[in-house]
Amino acid sequence: MTSRPPTLREKRRYVLVRIEPAGTVPDQKELYFAVHEAVSSLWGDAAAALVHMAVVSADNEYVIVRCRRGTERELAIALTSVTVCAGQRISLRTVATSGTIESLRERIAVMRAPETAVVLPDECTIDGRRYTVSHCSGQKVDVIEKGFKNTTRFFLTREDLEDI
Amino acid sequence: MKITDACVYPRPSGDSSVRRMALEAHELRFDSLIAVDTPACDYAGVHVASGVVIGEIPAQDIAVRMKRHRETGTFVSVQAGDNGHNRAVLGMKGIHILCGIHRTDRYAFDHVTAKMAADNGVAIDVSLAPVIRERGVVRQRALDRYFDLMLLCRRFEFPLVISTHARSVLEMRSVREFSALASVIGLDIPDVERALSNAGRLPSPSSAVKVVQ
Repeated sequence: MTSRPPTLREKRRYVLVRIEPAGTVPDQKELYFAVHEAVSSLWGDAAAALVHMAVVSADNEYVIVRCRRGTERELAIALTSVTVCAGQRISLRTVATSGTIESLRERIAVMRAPETAVVLPDECTIDGRRYTVSHCSGQKVDVIEKGFKNTTRFFLTREDLEDI
Repeated sequence: MKITDACVYPRPSGDSSVRRMALEAHELRFDSLIAVDTPACDYAGVHVASGVVIGEIPAQDIAVRMKRHRETGTFVSVQAGDNGHNRAVLGMKGIHILCGIHRTDRYAFDHVTAKMAADNGVAIDVSLAPVIRERGVVRQRALDRYFDLMLLCRRFEFPLVISTHARSVLEMRSVREFSALASVIGLDIPDVERALSNAGRLPSPSSAVKVVQ
């Protein structure tokens, strides 16, 4: 199949999205299904077809989502309504929109500043339950309850850990 | 102009501490939060105001519960119910916000209650939670209620506040996302700016008189 000449190709836009909680590595396909469901449930099938979204890359905490030019707003609104991916609670924060993937990759490289090493306890006890420190970035500390099932993730700060 | 998320639920109601929510709010470009069942504090440049949400209980019981919060500097929100309940609530002094309109039926908030809200300066809460978290008929019903609310708001000009009712930092949204989501229910950017700053303009919760020496 021959590719169309540049003037006949449809114009696209790429949206850079950060996934929260930090440390979440989503499956690209699962993320596609989650975003597609959000777009089609909010705007309907006809608008979802117009948006023509696709997850181009899911690299650690940053994801690049493609859409047709002119539908960035619809995609960005739908992205805010994604709350679950593959049974895991997530939040997608739109960072930037660009016409090329390359510029977004440059932006990711700039944003990934090296984190300073922080000495924190591996474990803590809250309300008599034991928690493992799963992620720490700056003042933010995420802890996960120890156990096999019904493990809860709590979002705290370093000061909260000191107070406990 | 203080940009405020009018209702969040930190621990123990949610899974995030109030400090973490304040930190997140700072990154999401908010100036203040109203946190339910949490003492007021300042953290990361964000002012956390204390709030309380009173459920849909008889008006007499609401008056009793409000006495507990009088002169404590707490923002009092009351859940909306049927039309009679809303009229009774909007007539009370000391109530700042009427929330949960999206869960009520079509006739619960009409032109009379809209005028009462405008006259008494009670803000109506537009929760973005159903737009973000719900799907299908529940979200459609909520959007329908909000479209009707916007119609009344333009006519009677009662104050609106916007909130996420977030129980986790994952449920909080940025100011830009607020305006994008609010555009779905027919609020344009100036309306959103006004609604986000309305919490700061509400009659400040009365607190006990302090003797300054």
